[in-house]
Amino acid sequence: MRWWQTRKRDADLERELRSDLELEEEEQRDNGLSPDEVRRAAYRAFGNTTLIREHVHEAWGWAPIERLLQDARYALRQLWRSPGFSIVAMMTLAVGIGATTAIFTLVYDVMLRPLPFAQPDRIVTIEEKVAEWSNLYPTLPVSANHFTFWQQHNKSFDSMALMQQFSVPLGAPGHPLQVEALSATPGIFSVLQVQPALGRTFTVDEAQRGHEHVAILTYDLWREQFGGDPGILGKTISLDGFPYSVIGVMPQSFHMPSIQTMDTLGTTNHPLPIGVLVPLTFSKERLAEEMGDLNYFGLARLKTGISVAVANEELNALQHTISANLPADEKATLSAAITPFQEKLVGSNRKPLMVLLAAVMGLLLVGCVNVTNLLLSRAVSQKRQMAVAAALGASRAELVRMAIRETAVLAVLGGGLGVLLAACIVPSMQRYLPPALDFRGALHLDWAGVGCAFLLATLATLAAGAAPASMVSRTAPQEVLHNDSRLASESPRSRRARRALVAIEAAVSVALVLMTGLLTASLVKLMAVDRGFTTERTIAATVELPSEGYHDRQHRAEFYRDVLQRLNRLPGVEHAAFTSVLPLTGGGWGDMARISGDSRPVTQLPLENFRSVSPQYFSAINLPLIAGRFFSESDWGKNLALVSQKTASSLWPGKDPIGQQFSRGDPATEKPFTVVGVVSDARTVSLAKPDPMLIYVPYWYRVEPMAGLVIRTRQDPSEMADMVRQTIWSVDRGVPVPTVRTLSGMVADSVANQRFEKDLLLFFAVSALLLAGLGVYGVLTYSVAQRYREIGLRLALGAQRPSVYWLVLRDGLLPVAIGAVAGVALAFGSARVVGSLLFQISPYDPVLSIGAVGVLLAVCISACLLPAWRAAAVDPMRALRTE
Amino acid sequence: MNSKQVNLLQGTLDLLILKSLGAAELHGLGISRRIEQMTQGTFLVKPGSLFPALHRMEEAGWLSSFWGESENRRRAKYYRLTKAGKGQLVVETQEWKKISLAMNSALEAT
Repeated sequence: MRWWQTRKRDADLERELRSDLELEEEEQRDNGLSPDEVRRAAYRAFGNTTLIREHVHEAWGWAPIERLLQDARYALRQLWRSPGFSIVAMMTLAVGIGATTAIFTLVYDVMLRPLPFAQPDRIVTIEEKVAEWSNLYPTLPVSANHFTFWQQHNKSFDSMALMQQFSVPLGAPGHPLQVEALSATPGIFSVLQVQPALGRTFTVDEAQRGHEHVAILTYDLWREQFGGDPGILGKTISLDGFPYSVIGVMPQSFHMPSIQTMDTLGTTNHPLPIGVLVPLTFSKERLAEEMGDLNYFGLARLKTGISVAVANEELNALQHTISANLPADEKATLSAAITPFQEKLVGSNRKPLMVLLAAVMGLLLVGCVNVTNLLLSRAVSQKRQMAVAAALGASRAELVRMAIRETAVLAVLGGGLGVLLAACIVPSMQRYLPPALDFRGALHLDWAGVGCAFLLATLATLAAGAAPASMVSRTAPQEVLHNDSRLASESPRSRRARRALVAIEAAVSVALVLMTGLLTASLVKLMAVDRGFTTERTIAATVELPSEGYHDRQHRAEFYRDVLQRLNRLPGVEHAAFTSVLPLTGGGWGDMARISGDSRPVTQLPLENFRSVSPQYFSAINLPLIAGRFFSESDWGKNLALVSQKTASSLWPGKDPIGQQFSRGDPATEKPFTVVGVVSDARTVSLAKPDPMLIYVPYWYRVEPMAGLVIRTRQDPSEMADMVRQTIWSVDRGVPVPTVRTLSGMVADSVANQRFEKDLLLFFAVSALLLAGLGVYGVLTYSVAQRYREIGLRLALGAQRPSVYWLVLRDGLLPVAIGAVAGVALAFGSARVVGSLLFQISPYDPVLSIGAVGVLLAVCISACLLPAWRAAAVDPMRALRTE
Repeated sequence: MNSKQVNLLQGTLDLLILKSLGAAELHGLGISRRIEQMTQGTFLVKPGSLFPALHRMEEAGWLSSFWGESENRRRAKYYRLTKAGKGQLVVETQEWKKISLAMNSALEAT
């Protein structure tokens, strides 16, 4: 019997019984009775039809479902009768479950959802480690030379690939479309175990220099830009101004995360998905470079049964062999770091996510505790009802069921609302995904999230319903029924339980408030830190020069000289300058400066961050000059440099750096740089830490296709954006200018994630505080009502009203105080995790700790006031007369 | 059940119902009457026991039911044995014979 046929079957049964009853009546009529007597006799003979029906239902096996529906109906009716309680409890659970589900969905998507490749756990990234440079670069991308050696000698990997990602113009010049290209060695297809849906992969031949002009399109690009042309294979497309022949189209399911290498590290968040795959090839000189060109993202597939540790061991051994064979002037200690791909993509996002998840679960815990507390007071007031049920023969199991059904209905309703809430919140969390993981399409609530909500609702039912249920199941009916209900008071056991619950709420709330306080203080300090440069009235633009027309440094530098001249002539512009890296978007390229006369091997040389800038860069962002001079356009072509204070004091300790010379690479072939000035240290790489050693070289020395402009204006910078674009396009209409925005906006954006974390925590903390206050209020109000006569007696015997006040306050605040101490201890216990998210503030900060406790006490004291006032206002005569 | 009635042994009711339906299709009241008649009035099956048993046996697949017309041209629900029900009748009959034989020899033993 299917339970959804219940109604139909039941109607049928009713008809059957009625017709049989009529048959019975007919028989009775044959016995010659009057119609009335006939009916009565028939009923007598037949028995209780309702009972028969119930028994038949049992025979059908519906009884449990029927009881469930009945329970639900009953619970709903009860909840309906006290709407205040129901709404508070339901909303508490909904917010708790909804917020937890939303955060869990984010965490699941980032950390747990398998990457969309076959056996994704076997895909690992490979990075190199160079002991000599580990202070600046703990790990480095892979060199083609080392990679070739690994490929020939390893036994741990099924396949390996190197790749790089960059943005290129696709299509005809004039109105090119910017697409993301992944340039990879042919191994990529076996590493990811994907094949083109149309066409073929790169051949070994096409991975050689000169044969690499073939491209594989992703499905989306093929659909959007080529209308899904089935005859696309063999056609020629223009990438970066060069003709590429299309040899394949990837399947629709293929999505590739954005990868970061030295070139792209921190410079831009790749917002576009990868659109085209091209072969990565190396020139003979590149392949021969034994210690240069650490530039490529290494990805590999582990052989089955080989662990990450074993593979790392093997690579370290291979790296050791390479180290041993390095020429004397390039001596370095090499090793490798293998990380599962997913872990690498998650990167530093892991900790804040875990903190958020812990915080939101804390909120849910406080919510459950609150509901438990509310239910407990209800259970106490329903004690009589339960006792009557027990006296009438309800079994213990039935009593527990009666007690827990309300909780279950609350949890189901709360969970349902929570899922709706999560479904609304989740899409807005998309922008908080780490860019590398934002490649799988829109974030939405899926089955994992709903499953999580369901689990949470179940846990909430058990957690919140257990205490009242166990209390009820211990009901001794005769005791309760004999007692005058007005005399009955809460058992000490249940009072202790309720205090413990309040203490838990207080502890979690204090921990949340403290953490929020720490993150907020840290963010305030981060924003207020002396950056060493200014952002007022300054705009920053990024420019991407296409290779076509700008294939060398000469052309690119001349383009920028032109643009800068025109920009500087604009009436609203104070300073317009070129920089290879905009502030707070990355470090620039790393290189070794060899001071004249230093003959150490290259790997022993100090590593600095290099940037190429135009003369007005320093004035544009107000980076003060300490000594010497800036370079100027009249120095065009000369190898000059400015260094930061840190560089000056490290490279030429105790000497005047002005006029000193150094070279990049081989002094025999390279023209040395002359230091003309020293600028102050700042925080242009990250607000959180002082810049490493920086060296500024003029833009005529080096210009990459991707670069930035900073423009300090005399007026509101937001009005200048269009003018900046127009000026650039007045030099060349075909140059893409992806972003123009204020520099202060970029500074704020560099801490956007921290701000998001702080905002969420603030929300959790405020909610937890409110719930804790509500909890204290509920417990006290109830206890005052219970102690009505006791208080009346005290007052009648001469107690002063202030002491009654104090009695209630102490009753309410004692568990809060204990909880607060526990909460601070909890926060201190997790200091190691939290500490790593903080800037210039100790996780043990005494002021904030005391402040957090203070906030909680303030909330709880105000929650105590009303019940305490009520207690003090008791009229002893009336209290005693209620006897 | 009243005092003069013999208590139905556990499982006997099923056998009686199966047996009563062995010859003809009957409605609920008919089954009750047939059992009364077959046992010469020893067993009186009340609707309170009969209907749950009928529905349980229908669930078990031994009986099937249909709406039909009674001898007085009234609509009534009729039951008949299914194939499985006929098998069950044979099985339960054999079992009962075994029990009754055993009981008889136990009581006659000296």
